[in-house]
This record gives sequence, structure tokens and C-alpha cells, in this order.
Amino acid sequence: MAEAMRATVATLLKGIDRYNPENLHTLERYVDMQASENTYDLEANLAILKLYQFNPSLYQPVPTALILLKALTNLPHSDFILCKCLIETSRLNEEPVSKVLRLANLLERASFQEFWAALEEDPDILIGIVGFEDSIRKFVCHVVASTYQTIRKEKLRQLLGNISDAHSSQWISKYGWTEMLDGYVFITNQEENIKTKNITEKISFDSVAAIMASGR
Amino acid sequence: MSGAWASDIEPEYVPGYYGSYQDYDMSHTGDPRQDIEYERHYTTHSYIVPEVIKNFLIHFQKCINTKELAEIERSYDNGFNKLTERFFKNSAWPEADVVSPIVNHDKRFIILYKELYYRHVYARVSGGPSLAQRFESYYNYCALFNYILNAEGPVNLELPDQWLWDIIDEFIYQFQAFSIFRHKIANKTTEDEIELLKSNPKIWNVHSVLNVLHSLVEKSNINKQLEVYTSGGDPDSVAGEFGRNSLYKMLGYYSLVGLLRLHSLLGDYYQALKVLENIDFNKNSLYSKVPACQITKYYYVGFAYMMMRRYEDAIRTLSTILLYIQRTKTMFQNKTQLYDQISKMNDKMYTLLSICLVLYPMRIDESVHSHLREKYQDKMNRMQKGEKQEFETSFSFACPKFLSPVPPNYDSDGSVTMFKEPYQLQLLVFKEEVEQQILIPTIRSYLKLYTTMPISKLAAFMEMNEEELCTQLMCFKHKMKNLVWTKGPSCLEGEFQSASEVDFYIDKTMVHIADTKVARRYGDFFIRQFHKFDEIMRSLKSA
Repeated sequence: MAEAMRATVATLLKGIDRYNPENLHTLERYVDMQASENTYDLEANLAILKLYQFNPSLYQPVPTALILLKALTNLPHSDFILCKCLIETSRLNEEPVSKVLRLANLLERASFQEFWAALEEDPDILIGIVGFEDSIRKFVCHVVASTYQTIRKEKLRQLLGNISDAHSSQWISKYGWTEMLDGYVFITNQEENIKTKNITEKISFDSVAAIMASGR
Repeated sequence: MSGAWASDIEPEYVPGYYGSYQDYDMSHTGDPRQDIEYERHYTTHSYIVPEVIKNFLIHFQKCINTKELAEIERSYDNGFNKLTERFFKNSAWPEADVVSPIVNHDKRFIILYKELYYRHVYARVSGGPSLAQRFESYYNYCALFNYILNAEGPVNLELPDQWLWDIIDEFIYQFQAFSIFRHKIANKTTEDEIELLKSNPKIWNVHSVLNVLHSLVEKSNINKQLEVYTSGGDPDSVAGEFGRNSLYKMLGYYSLVGLLRLHSLLGDYYQALKVLENIDFNKNSLYSKVPACQITKYYYVGFAYMMMRRYEDAIRTLSTILLYIQRTKTMFQNKTQLYDQISKMNDKMYTLLSICLVLYPMRIDESVHSHLREKYQDKMNRMQKGEKQEFETSFSFACPKFLSPVPPNYDSDGSVTMFKEPYQLQLLVFKEEVEQQILIPTIRSYLKLYTTMPISKLAAFMEMNEEELCTQLMCFKHKMKNLVWTKGPSCLEGEFQSASEVDFYIDKTMVHIADTKVARRYGDFFIRQFHKFDEIMRSLKSA
């Protein structure tokens, strides 16, 4: 259903009509749909925040928090920042938006264990958002994959939110990583990607051609 | 406001350009101070316009009507400014109703004249524009855009590109100025003025401004034209009747840049970059003839990238334009106003570049780098050491003047600092980002010293436990892996890459480090000297 909405909403957002507050209701419903069907549409969500910005009396904290949480599911993209830049400073200090901001801060600092602990204290915030935790785990795996060549499985398990040993094995095989006998997980051979670069000068043909031409 | 371009908008939205104008009558304010002002206006009717001004206006009118572009350009660029220096350095040009009989009541000319008149009031007249003048100028822009947009076919008018850009640029500038003005005056103005502001909510309303820009974009088919142009086709084939006309085409193009600016001022960086979707940044195009427009474009794109944590793209964008300014600066030296404007933007962009390079060190063009070293090394050192205050100072110097799209609550005594709210928000977002990565430069400086080192050793250097250090190292990776533009016209697209100077990975208990070694560059230096020499030779020959 959310997928069908995507096209409808895209036409709503064309040209000047994007700023029509009458669309707000449809757009807010669309955010709920994104949450329950685990889809994501940044552009539509930003349009909502923009309508709130233009019409402060129409501001709704709950959809705003939802939009921010959905933005987190798209990490490592900086969608969260894009959303935050459109919300009035005073609104950022109100619940539940302020809670989401705290979670975001932990994720941006890669303090994953603290993030899961904070989430555990306040699980209600995720009500209605399907697949949120797994999206975050994907982000964790993204960061781990670029940082580590080998990581202790126990550590990985904690970073993924204290999941069971079997569950973490699933994530490991999903990314094609290998569990080793010494308790480490082999991620990838980083030596090939991360090596000392020597930059030597290259002169393009165009820049020499320009000189030759002017020397005629 | 009527006409096809507005008819598909909710009635509530249609800016009542003229609707509310009737009940706003300047002669009966009841306020003595304003009535005196009115009197003064009135007496200017007897002001005798010097012969030289008269002749200038008649000539100006004539070349606009006969569409002699070169002559219009000369009058616009040179004539008007020279006479300003001579007669109206700090005072306004003659009022439109004084000018009107001189030019035979040519309505179109008067609209164009008033465009220059109010722009001059904003820029030069001491005390700045009054509330009435701000309103009048707005109505005049409406009249101008109505004339252009509501015509059945393309209007019979040609204006130099520079002027067309200035119209869009000034229109947004005045909107920006008004938004700040209405927040600032709430406490120190007369009740009548507040009444006037309250009863005219549609004047300089954000919807009206957006509406104008969108309409110009649509009327000119500029997006389709650019799409075809980028893929190597003939833009005229999709331009349509209006878009083929240079006036509409260029106004459409400049409106895209105007929207980039407007969205950025509202903190909407996604839309800001999105409107440029069809403009190919990496191609020098026939649309890029006006330097001020180019600089505006690169500044806002660079800024948006920085906010979006796309440092590599920000650095590339900013250094491209800084190099361009460096090479063309001498061209503007005899145009004082433009030169000042460009110098100011230049400083702002170097400051942005220095912020980005502290957060994301990478190699940039040698000549831009050497200027940076000369002028910004101290600031950069302070930021590198983690001085948050320096980040804040640099940001506030280099950022655009953010604005609020909604009017203040005129009834509450509201704090005077309300107009700073939009700036505070952007600063907050920026500061939180910096805060999250404040330790990265220090970690990088240690990594640079080794090719491998145990985690425990680095942790000891950083005075934290190993667990915390690993978190910091992951944060390092997360922040340094940016979305980077690789191909295609849309500057929103990109791939995750990391080109920053120092990279590393963790294997069990060891950190393995990869540095970037740069060989000295000679070719670049020689090529630049060749060009410089060539330029000197050419200017000697032409002298």
C-alpha cells in the first residue's frame, strides 16, 4: 500500500503544491504507512516538516518523532540532519522528539552499546515501527565492515544489541563474514582497500593543449 | 493576481497582490510623523531633475524600447552607477511620478526604473528603506513579474543577463531583509506600522516569493531545456514559445539558483540541491556567464554539502569556485560594488573550506591551499586542537543569513532575539555534528605517526580505555565515509567513499594505518605561470 502511495504522493509534491497545507493529512498518514510497512520516503517526510515550518500551528510532535526515527533507519545517510534542520529549536527539547535526538546522538558517535541500552529503557518509542532494530543493525554492520578486519564475536554480538549467539551468526553469514575458531570473526581483507597511497602528479592533455594553442 | 500561472493554486494561497493594496492609503495614516514624510514626498514633485539625468533617462528608455542590448547594458552598468556617484550617493533617485512625464508615461520603463530605484534605496540611502518603501518595492516586483508571466506570448523585452540575475537576486534579498526586519521591529515601532504589517500578511510572504520563482521556472521550461542540453541536444527543441526567448530562459535559470538560495536560507538543504538536479556542475555552460550567479551557486551548494556531512563534495565545490575567483578577480577591480561583494563571498568560502578541511583533511588545489595556509592557518590550528569556540566563530561568519518563513507574533512583547532563532537552529545542528567528531583530529594526528600500533597504546595516548577507543575509531570511520558525487547531473547522488588523508583498519589488537604521500607537483605550477605570462602578454599587446 505504501508503495502505491509513493506515486500519489510524488504528484502532490510537484511544484508549488508542495506547500499546500491541505496535503498534510495525507502525508502524515503516509508516514504511518512507512512505519508499519517498513518503507521509506525521505522527500515526502521532508515536505511534512516544511509544512510545519511554514505553518507552526499545524505542528504535530508524534509524526515528527516518527519521521526522525525513520531517518535513523537510513543511516549512514545524513537524512537525520536534513530533518533536524527544519524543526524549530524549542520543539527539539520536547518529548518524544528529544528522546529520538538522544538516540541519534549515540548512533552518530558509534556508541552502539549505549544506544541499545537507552532503547531498552524506553521501548515504547518504537511502537508501530516495523524493522527499526534490523535497520540499525545494518548500519552497525556497515560501520564494522569498514573498521575491522577481524572482530571478536562477543563484541559484535554486543554491538548488534546483545542478540543471541545464533542470531549474530545469522548476521555474520548474511554479510558473508567468517567465524573463526579463536572466537574472532573475519570481516574482509582490508589490506587490499586500505593501503598507503602515493599521489604522483598527472598532467592532463587538455591543460597542455591549452598552452600549446596559446603559443601559436 | 490573476492569470493562468496562479489559477491552479488553492485560492487561499493566491497572493493578494492588489487585493489589500486599496485599504493601504499613504496619505491618511493619522500618524504625524508619517504625514510629514508624505508631505516631503509630495514636495519632491517640485524637484527639478537635472538635464543630464533627464537625458540619461530618455536615452535609457529609448534603447530598452529599441532592444539595443549593448546600449542597455552600458546604461545599466555604467550610466546608472556613474550618475549615482555624482548625484545620489546617499539619497534616492527622483521619484517615479517625477520621472514619468519625462519618459512619456511609459509604464514598462517606470517599472524597470523603480526596480533600480528601490534597489538603490536598499543599498545606499542612509536609514534604509521605510516600511512603505518595502511594500512599494514588493508591489513593483509583482507588477514586473505579472507583466512578464501573464503575457499571451513572450513580451517584447530584452535585458542583459546581469540585470536579469540582479532582479532575481534582489527579489530574494529584499524578502530576506523583510523577514529579518519584521522580527526586529516588533518592539520599536509605532502601533500603526504594526497594524499595517498585520493587515498585509501577504506582502513579502514566503508563498508569494516561492510562487514567483516556481512560475518563472515553469514558464521557461528550463528544467527540460537543461536536461536536453546536458545530454548534448538542442534545448530549443523542448523550450516552447517562451523558453526559446532569452529573457524567459535566463529568468528561469536564475530562478533555479534563486530557489537554491531560498531553500538554503530556510534550512532545507535537500530541496536546495534538488532544484539544481538538471544543472551539470562539471560542465562549463553557456548559462554561466554572470560571475555573481556562479559564485552564489557554488557558495550555497558548498554550504549545503557541508551541513549534510558531504565534506569531500563541499571541498571540491568550494575550491573550484575559489580558484575561479582567484583567476578572474582582476576583471572586477574597477567595479567597486561587485568587487566588494565578491571579496566578501571569497572570505566566507575560504572560512567554510577551512572548516571542512579540518574535519576532513584532503589534498586540494595548490594555489587555493597556499592562500589558506597564509590566511587561515591559525584558525585551522585552533579548530584542529578541538576549540569549539573557533568552529562557532567561523560558522557564524561564513553561514548565510537564515530566516524564518513566518511572521512574528506582533502582540506578545516577544524577545528581540527572535529573528536569530533560525540561525540558532542551524548553528546547533552544526555544533552537535562537530561535537560528535571533536576527537577525530587528535586521533588522526597520532595515527599519522605509525604504520601499525596496538590498540592499547593508542588508548593510552588518548587517555581512555580500549573499549572507548574502539567506539571512537568506529565513529572516525563513520564520519569519514561520506557520500561523494561521482557522476550524473544531480548533485544529490553519490557513492560512499573515503578519500581523507589517513585511513586505518583494526585487525585483532592492532591498528593498521595507511597514510597518503604526496609527491611534489611541478607541472601545475608551470602551467599556471604559462597562463599568467600569456595574460600579461595579451594585455600588453592590447594596451
